[in-house]
Amino acid sequence: MTDDTTNTTEPQSDRSQGRKHVNPGRRSFLLGAGSGIAATALAATAASAARSAPHSTTPAAQVLPAVPFHGANQAGVYRPAAQQRSACFASFRVLSANQAELKALLQTLTAQGATLAAGVKTDAPVRADDLPAIAGGPPSNSGVLGDDVPADSFTMTVGLSNTIFSNPAWGLSAKKPRGLTEMTVFPNDSPDPAWTGGDLLLQLCADSADTIHYALREITKATRGQLALTWKLNGFHSAPRPVGTPRNLFGYRDGIVNPAQDENRVWITKDSGQPDWAVGGTFMVVRVIRMLVEFWDRVGLGEQDGMIGRHRANGAPLGQTKETDAPDYANDPDGQNVPLDAHIRMANPRTTATDASRLLRRGYNYDLGVDLNGNMQAGLIFTCFQQNIQEQFEATQLRLVDEPMTDYVEPFGGGYFIALPGVPAAGSGFLGEGLFT
Amino acid sequence: MTTTLPAPEPTMAAVITAYRTYLSGVLDTISSQALTLKASIGNNDLDAARTQWLATQLSWQRVGAAYGSFGKLGEAINGLPAGLPKGAADPAFTGLHRIEYGLFHGQGPAELVAITAALHDNVTSLHAELPTLDIAGMDMAIRSHEILEDSLRDNLSGHNDQGSGMALALTFADLDGTRVVLALMRTVVDGLHPGYTATVSATLDRLGTALNATKLDGTWPVWDTLPLPDRQTVTGAIGASLEALAYIPALFSTDDD
Repeated sequence: MTDDTTNTTEPQSDRSQGRKHVNPGRRSFLLGAGSGIAATALAATAASAARSAPHSTTPAAQVLPAVPFHGANQAGVYRPAAQQRSACFASFRVLSANQAELKALLQTLTAQGATLAAGVKTDAPVRADDLPAIAGGPPSNSGVLGDDVPADSFTMTVGLSNTIFSNPAWGLSAKKPRGLTEMTVFPNDSPDPAWTGGDLLLQLCADSADTIHYALREITKATRGQLALTWKLNGFHSAPRPVGTPRNLFGYRDGIVNPAQDENRVWITKDSGQPDWAVGGTFMVVRVIRMLVEFWDRVGLGEQDGMIGRHRANGAPLGQTKETDAPDYANDPDGQNVPLDAHIRMANPRTTATDASRLLRRGYNYDLGVDLNGNMQAGLIFTCFQQNIQEQFEATQLRLVDEPMTDYVEPFGGGYFIALPGVPAAGSGFLGEGLFT
Repeated sequence: MTTTLPAPEPTMAAVITAYRTYLSGVLDTISSQALTLKASIGNNDLDAARTQWLATQLSWQRVGAAYGSFGKLGEAINGLPAGLPKGAADPAFTGLHRIEYGLFHGQGPAELVAITAALHDNVTSLHAELPTLDIAGMDMAIRSHEILEDSLRDNLSGHNDQGSGMALALTFADLDGTRVVLALMRTVVDGLHPGYTATVSATLDRLGTALNATKLDGTWPVWDTLPLPDRQTVTGAIGASLEALAYIPALFSTDDD
């Protein structure tokens, strides 16, 4: 290859346009004429010499198995059974100009989700579709997780909001699921437009915070120009303290009672009165709820327990001894043990009439920053899954209007979404394929 | 802009020669715009001056690929107050953004005539140096993606804004500057990777459409007054362009990192 300019000196880094870019001096340039040979064919990769394991300042990460991406339903709802430690809830505006672009976007998301769930070994063969347009460009992997990307129990759960079905650009109005509305504003809510809505939601979960960060970066890079990140919030799911269901930021075990998968409260079926394409999906409600932790910490333990309806120490319903004990409301009609307005009693009165409103909660704590008054901005990314938003989430939420705990919480963000049905097996379609058939 | 370009040449050396010719024309324009601007400021016709500052600034954005070669003259022409001990009040803050700052912060002839005269002098000096300026081929390749990276990082972030709010106008001029570099390099780039400039151009076209769609009655709105969905259309399009442009330097690189 000829070198027309023979200029291979370090470029001047003095720039008049704002701050400096990274000095590109380590790139050695072949300023060749338009010969057909890609200059990058000459790229040499230095084999890294074998080194002894260096001293580390932190314990090694646990090696966790991959959670299967493929299945009748999406992962991140009932799969894996043990909720992962870290999450990101990212809401996007979809910029796709037409239905074909939206379809391609969902295909890209499917490929990303499957790859991230399986993990990537650098020496594994790369699918032709995943090869960059030009070899030798920016690395295909941000390196945040090293060269080999561990599976780390990663799951990606994709949800679509009602705006996907109402925007004529995508031509999906006939496919709109019943009951997928804008998020209802309840009497104790203070919705902030900056934290509300979006066309498409990604719930990314994994056991390490760096995996979550890596995944969001990969996904946004692969979808640049099609998805515009509108709001995002990272969450954490605590370890049991010391045992049992993890605690929320009020110090209480949260998520103790959830319907099992075979109770059929979550997945949309042929009998759910929904469009065929939605079978295997589920409605996903995300509510970002600030918890006024400083205020809460100034409340006596008895009052706290009474607002929740459980003993803080061990999670048992008031008057019971174990977290797993069921409260006995029938023998406590006046609320001597569990006050009638306790959160757990209003949310789930455990009557025949309210049984159908039970839903699957899978929330995450968040800890965001500082408010105007110097208080911590922290709380709960409440997330629940159900077959029917109105009959399950909204019925529950309406029972909770003006519960005593409302003084200590401020729901301000989130949205309603339909989590798409799963992709049954590799090579058997993509998330949301049924929307286009 | 691109209609007046010399035909793309098959070697990087020829690209740089053609780019020098293009640059000479742009600097001529800036020089004459600076004189007009100086006259308006001298006459205390600040409404006209604000319009003329923008025209001059936009011409500078179209210089595009050569900032790395301009050294201290570039800093004097288009420097920013960031990093200066006294910020916008620092005497070392000069040039186009200093004039913008004055015109949008209640300053007039007393503060700005000398600065505008110096701008004209500096552009003239730069023009005189142009034939001997060391413009490296790698600058062309790297700047082909960095021009719009700067738009996103410096203009659309608001960092460069000295009061005009004209990030959209500057970004549109940056897009012009990118198109110029890409047009000049077309034969070389497509020789290394057939069809790649068309791939990139499609993303640039979409960005141009998105930018134009923000105009209100034919004028650029102040960027941060736009509602988020309107901004997302622009930032989404610029993001897609940047992902495509990011591979152009690779065509010329043996990156052994």
